[in-house]
Amino acid sequence: MSGEILYSVRDLVVEYDTRTGPLRAVDGVSLDIRRGEILGLVGESGCGKSTLGKAMMRLLPRNARIAKGELLFDGQDLMSLSEEQMRHVRGGKIGMVFQDPMTSLNPVQRIIDHITETIKTHKPDASDDEARERAEFLVERLGIRKDRLDDYPHQLSGGMRQRVMIALALALNCDLVIADEPTTSLDVIVEAKFLDLLRDLRDEFNLTILMITHNIGVVAEVADRVAVMYAGEMAEVGDVHPVFAEPAHPYTEGLLKSVPNIALDEEELYQMKGGPPNLLHPPAGCRFNPRCPYVMDICVSQDPPMFPVHGGGGVAACWLRDPERKRSESD
Amino acid sequence: MDTERLLPEAPQPEPLPDWEEDLARVGLVRRAFMARRWYGPDWWFVVIGSVIVIFLTLVALFPQWFAPHDPSANVGPRNLAPGEKPDVEVLVSLEGSGVANLRDLASGDREPFGVVVGTPSSEIARAAADTIGEETGERIRLRIQRFDTLEEMLGAVADGSVRAGAGSNIAIEEVLDDYPGVTIQGSLEGAEVTADTSFILGTNQLGQDVLSRLIWGTRVAFLVGFAAAAFALAIGLPLGLVSGFTGGKLDRVLSLIMDSIYSFPGLVLAIAIAAVLGASIFNVVVAIAVVYIPTYFRIVRGQTLAIKEAVFVEAARSIGARSWEILWKYIFPNVIPSVAIIFSVNVADAILTGAGLSFLGLGLPPHIPDWGIDLARGQVAIQTSWWLVTFPGLAVMFVVLTLTMLGEGLIEIINPRLRDR
Amino acid sequence: MNSLLLLFVALGVPTLGVLVYALVTGSPGLRRHVLTRVALTIPMILILATVVFVVLRVLPGDPVTSSLGPRGNPEVREAMRDQLGLDLPIWAQYGRYLGSLFTFDLGNALTSGRRPVAVELGERFPATIELIVPAAIVAVVGGILAGTLAGSRRKSATDYGLRMFSVAIYAMPVFWLGLILQLIFAVQLGWFPVAGRIDPIVSGSLERVTNLLVVDSLITGNWAALGSALRHLVLPAATLGLILLGVFLRLTRVNVIETLQEDYVAAARARGIKEGVIVYRHALRNAMIPVITFIGLQVAILLAGAVLTETVFSWPGVGRYLVERIGLRDYTAVQGVVAVFAIFVSMISLLVDVVYSIVDPRVRY
Repeated sequence: MSGEILYSVRDLVVEYDTRTGPLRAVDGVSLDIRRGEILGLVGESGCGKSTLGKAMMRLLPRNARIAKGELLFDGQDLMSLSEEQMRHVRGGKIGMVFQDPMTSLNPVQRIIDHITETIKTHKPDASDDEARERAEFLVERLGIRKDRLDDYPHQLSGGMRQRVMIALALALNCDLVIADEPTTSLDVIVEAKFLDLLRDLRDEFNLTILMITHNIGVVAEVADRVAVMYAGEMAEVGDVHPVFAEPAHPYTEGLLKSVPNIALDEEELYQMKGGPPNLLHPPAGCRFNPRCPYVMDICVSQDPPMFPVHGGGGVAACWLRDPERKRSESD
Repeated sequence: MDTERLLPEAPQPEPLPDWEEDLARVGLVRRAFMARRWYGPDWWFVVIGSVIVIFLTLVALFPQWFAPHDPSANVGPRNLAPGEKPDVEVLVSLEGSGVANLRDLASGDREPFGVVVGTPSSEIARAAADTIGEETGERIRLRIQRFDTLEEMLGAVADGSVRAGAGSNIAIEEVLDDYPGVTIQGSLEGAEVTADTSFILGTNQLGQDVLSRLIWGTRVAFLVGFAAAAFALAIGLPLGLVSGFTGGKLDRVLSLIMDSIYSFPGLVLAIAIAAVLGASIFNVVVAIAVVYIPTYFRIVRGQTLAIKEAVFVEAARSIGARSWEILWKYIFPNVIPSVAIIFSVNVADAILTGAGLSFLGLGLPPHIPDWGIDLARGQVAIQTSWWLVTFPGLAVMFVVLTLTMLGEGLIEIINPRLRDR
Repeated sequence: MNSLLLLFVALGVPTLGVLVYALVTGSPGLRRHVLTRVALTIPMILILATVVFVVLRVLPGDPVTSSLGPRGNPEVREAMRDQLGLDLPIWAQYGRYLGSLFTFDLGNALTSGRRPVAVELGERFPATIELIVPAAIVAVVGGILAGTLAGSRRKSATDYGLRMFSVAIYAMPVFWLGLILQLIFAVQLGWFPVAGRIDPIVSGSLERVTNLLVVDSLITGNWAALGSALRHLVLPAATLGLILLGVFLRLTRVNVIETLQEDYVAAARARGIKEGVIVYRHALRNAMIPVITFIGLQVAILLAGAVLTETVFSWPGVGRYLVERIGLRDYTAVQGVVAVFAIFVSMISLLVDVVYSIVDPRVRY
């Protein structure tokens, strides 16, 4: 796994226009995605992770806009591209897999039409036969019989449809696949198979995957690195093992503790107190402070910057990780 | 990490603020006013629509406050174009001569009175003099003096050789400036129409004022529209509730009947009913109401079916609420919003259908001022009098447009499926 | 065989074809659906026929008195009562009425030479068809295109403009729109004739085959007649078409807006599909399905509109016949027209429904 950075998000701010003023769903988020890795992006519903994923493709709903920040993909500034140039990036360079495979395929279009349409959009001179050949290769690789290509989406199972969505992302050898809760609507066994497949595909097609999920188990299973978001801000980023073994941010810690664990069924499940803040009026200082068990004076007045943790392998936005504070404590 | 680990789903904070909470703290009037910020143009549609509907209701209730003339009386010359001055016989005399109308000539002597040969002036003047005589008992004797031209007659008035004269209002006005001191004193007939009377929207073939008929027509339109929609609501709503709630055979039979009527051209059904029942406003209301019963039935039944399965109804049922209680307390309040929307759209529809019926000459007794009847009469004169077919139609359109605007605004506000989040 | 029966054969054959196709090639689920639908059509026609019967015979109002007037000759009255079977008990009358309906013998008209109503309707139905078919085409094609445009540019000036247009059109009484078009294009500008179906001068030279004048003049190559028939057709068809166009515009717009919010549209955007392709291939095709179902229901509005349009333009179709006969209190004729409308509407709705269930791949049973 090379350390080359494929996609770099810098200080991204995404605002929704609401009837009572702008709402910052993503507030100053920076994130680097390295080529060839699977990066898990976790957080509760509404923390801005899906908005971040959509913003990375510049596919925001009409009432949302990127207010600030840079999107650098493969050395290219996506913010400077025209809508037409951006269209070629979507599907051509960056693919997206959505949450609900039941509704992400056009019900009156056959599977093959979805794939050939995508191929021909980006490669206008590809012939029907070439497109069909590519489609057949892809679905067979993904474990779907090629005669199912002529079926309509409703004739396929949920797992098959999600594999079709992957095939659509692979149709043009995308570099990056943004998968937004791809397994949420699949049952457990199908989900496990799907995640295995995803990992194989990453190696085989040299993919980079951003896996957006609220399911920490999924991250543990497939991701190399993990990014934790809370209330529109990045809480912690780092390699999966150190983060899970020794979470640097109290929010990450709370997340991990509140996961039911069959092995420890005697213990009562940990419940984090409170709920996520109203993003129209976020709390001052660290946004997690109302729920944080370790809250300090500084937390309610100043927003923490990213501090290096785990010996420089990760970062966390928590005053507990402030090297100066540690020093003053040990004095 | 060998097991399935799920992060419990936190309640999802909407991108929309919880403004409904803010709203709950203020009074109803202020709440409605504050809502404009969230609903934008649709709020304005509803507000403007409501204001116009209230105004029109006032017009419909008290047309006599607004109409300048009696809608059924022949108040002016026939087929007068909008704004055109009525051409009437007027009395002219010297300023300061003391003759302001025919009665001032009732001195017992035969007064010299100028008319122009070949005009109806002398006949009208005599007739008017007789009328005044009968009414007041004063005898007016006119010594009619005939002139060959209008100019000669006016000249005679100007130099005092006749005390007064009569002629066509329009013709006199054209040359009046040449005769200093001569003034138009008003209509000979002493009727409502004077030289100054104008008919903003013209008059029809019977000499009725188009504007007054429009204003009075509002009454019938509103009456028919609201009464028919309310009638249909009163029958369709309970049927829909019961049918959707009880289900089973009753539901199937009722649905089939209602669907059949619904699929049939409403106007044709209304035509048949109106034709059989004969001409009266009540019969028109019945004929139109029958057509709209299935509309309410279908929407209420559909909603009832959906709400019946909702969790809160299940919950109520599980704690032992009685059927009629569920129907009345849980389902009925929830069908009200869609019924309100259908109602406002339906009033508009009923007005259109009512106008259609009376255009075809069905339903309304002919003496009632009604837009449909006026349009049918206007069509006969379409080659000459454009205003007769234009204005009643505009009136229908304006009323229907207002009600539709109101309904559309309400739909956009109430129907969350279409609302931009 | 009378010409009315001919018309229903013309309508029935394609319906039958579609039914057979669905039953032979369809899945068991589809077959069951189609059979249920056919089974429902018969009670539907029966119910409508009953409603007509109730309205015309049971509601207060005596057809004989209203057709002859209160001072009618007692012998004539008696003869008429006899002919109408009014002295029979109400159930016997009902039976007689249903029987006559299913044999397409609608009885003899009470006025105008007592000709069979079925024959009179058969003569007039082609004129109505000639009016409503072009109107429907204008409405469906125009409404869907404009509705897609409005829906895909929601909240733009185009959208507000088209929405206002559709609301304005909806608020116009059909007959008033007809009158205004007449006033502007026939009376003031003189581009089109005020009323009628064809110029009387060329009318005589036209050989009648189908009684659809445009079709007849095309088959016989009578260009003068074709021009005249088309010129007479423009205003009535535009009147009726525009009214329905508004309805289709609104419906398409709402459906396009809803479809554009679907996940597969977002997914298509994420694949870089062009916006135009998304709107016209993905969204429109899905939005069309409910719109097409709706066409079945619109036949009712079309027929109601035809009654008024035919009256305004003196178009010698079934609608005008209905209004004329109501004026003459000819109850047999009125009953006939309404019953024929009922059958017509039910058959069209059956046809549309079955076609729809064959076409939409999503429909599962």
